[in-house]
Amino acid sequence: MTGRFLRALAGLLALLSLAVCLAAPVLFFLGRITEGSYKTTFLAASIVWFVFAVARGSSGKSAAAG
Amino acid sequence: MASQWTKLSAAMDRLYEFDREAVTTDKLQSGAKFAGLFAGEHVAATEFVIGAFFVLHGIGARDLLLGLLFGNLLAVLSWTFICAPIAVRTRLTLYWYLRKIAGPGVTFIYNIANAFLYCILAGAMISVSATAVGLLFGIPVPKLGAVLPTSLGWVLIVVVLGAAFTTVAILGFAKLSRFAEVASPWIFVVFIAGAVAVLPRLGVRPDLGNLWEVLTTKVWNGVAVAGQEKLGFWHVLFFAWFCNLAMHIGLSDMALFRYARKWTYGLYTAFGVYPGHMLAWLASGIMVAAIGREMHPGLMAYEAVGAAGVAGVLLAGWTTANPTLYRAGLALQTVTPGWPRWKITLLAGTATTILASFPVFFLKLLDYVAIYGLVLMPIGAIVFAEHWVFPRLGIEQYQAEKKGWAFNWAALAVWLGTLAVAFVLPLHLYFRWLPGWFIALTAYTALMAARRTK
Repeated sequence: MTGRFLRALAGLLALLSLAVCLAAPVLFFLGRITEGSYKTTFLAASIVWFVFAVARGSSGKSAAAG
Repeated sequence: MASQWTKLSAAMDRLYEFDREAVTTDKLQSGAKFAGLFAGEHVAATEFVIGAFFVLHGIGARDLLLGLLFGNLLAVLSWTFICAPIAVRTRLTLYWYLRKIAGPGVTFIYNIANAFLYCILAGAMISVSATAVGLLFGIPVPKLGAVLPTSLGWVLIVVVLGAAFTTVAILGFAKLSRFAEVASPWIFVVFIAGAVAVLPRLGVRPDLGNLWEVLTTKVWNGVAVAGQEKLGFWHVLFFAWFCNLAMHIGLSDMALFRYARKWTYGLYTAFGVYPGHMLAWLASGIMVAAIGREMHPGLMAYEAVGAAGVAGVLLAGWTTANPTLYRAGLALQTVTPGWPRWKITLLAGTATTILASFPVFFLKLLDYVAIYGLVLMPIGAIVFAEHWVFPRLGIEQYQAEKKGWAFNWAALAVWLGTLAVAFVLPLHLYFRWLPGWFIALTAYTALMAARRTK
């Protein structure tokens, strides 16, 4: 049960980070943030994506193994 | 000689033993699985180069959009009406089906050709990644038209990357494959984000009022850069259609579709080709225009997305070269029976790295993709003829299997003959495969019918 919850949570956070990756260039294009902020936000959100997407995959594997 | 051949053939069969049996109904996969599988494919490092080359070749915006729309549609229909029906009816991989039709000898040659072509493709992916790493060390990317390695720095980067990719492919192919699944959606986002982010640099206003004007004058303005051939609508349409020729018309994707419940699952390839071979190509075109039309994928991604863009190019090369190296290794293993997988992958990786140091393979990627499809296309035509045409004409199917032929000489002659004819056809390279397919189909049917008459 906890495994499934953590997997869902990791999946949700991964998706959110991908949404941030897409939102950042749009905000830069609209002139709401600077180029530096866009690139930093994109980089940070990308790291979050990899952390949670990999965590989601790993938790799925351990749940299946368990 | 005969006993050597028997040994070689047996060793080759052992490699593919795991998929020798037709897929059983309990192993069939749902449409959603296929949609997910294809959505993760077709976003490779090469997309950074292909989309950019469309700009350099002076394709107009309207020609590009319509060409990609219809070319990709033709590709999806080729998967749906040519590849998937044969796969669903036979439930076999191309390897085993071709073996029944053309014999183990032709299948062996096919494997070697495939391995060599895979090595070049993986080499192009390493070259693309090298442009990203070279940026960090200030090493210049070879200029358009370069054939041989242009600097020691370039060779060093390619060798280091090739060694790293090969080592990972040896040590952790499965792990990297899982990582590639994670990276794939993010790499697609890098393309989209990069294109959106460079729009202000190209002069697009936030209300998008002048978007079309900018795209038609500053991106796809119909003017080819010096030394690049001018291409148009038909070139784009055919390119989008044939860039996966080996997979659909060439029937390699029988390996996937044999798990489909229905042949109509071929339509799910649209989930892969439209994002990868339309949106990603359009995005890389916009990005290359923003850096002054310089063929430098690393710089393009860095300017558009920053450090994450450089990582995107590197990862796109890495995650897509990995399975390509694996496939090349698998195909090469047929000539080195008894060699462990690591040794084969090392051999494939070494060959790939040497090829990657020659910039011609990534700077002539569009032509290479055309040649790759063209070389394997006749095999698809031969299988198509045997599967669909022979029963209608009363020609006996699978004679190679039934009569124990090592080589179906008709198949081999048609394959080589078609390539020879395609080589001299007075058509642009992109268009040659289509008449070639009909030539192969007709010639193979005629030869086998003549053999029956005799």
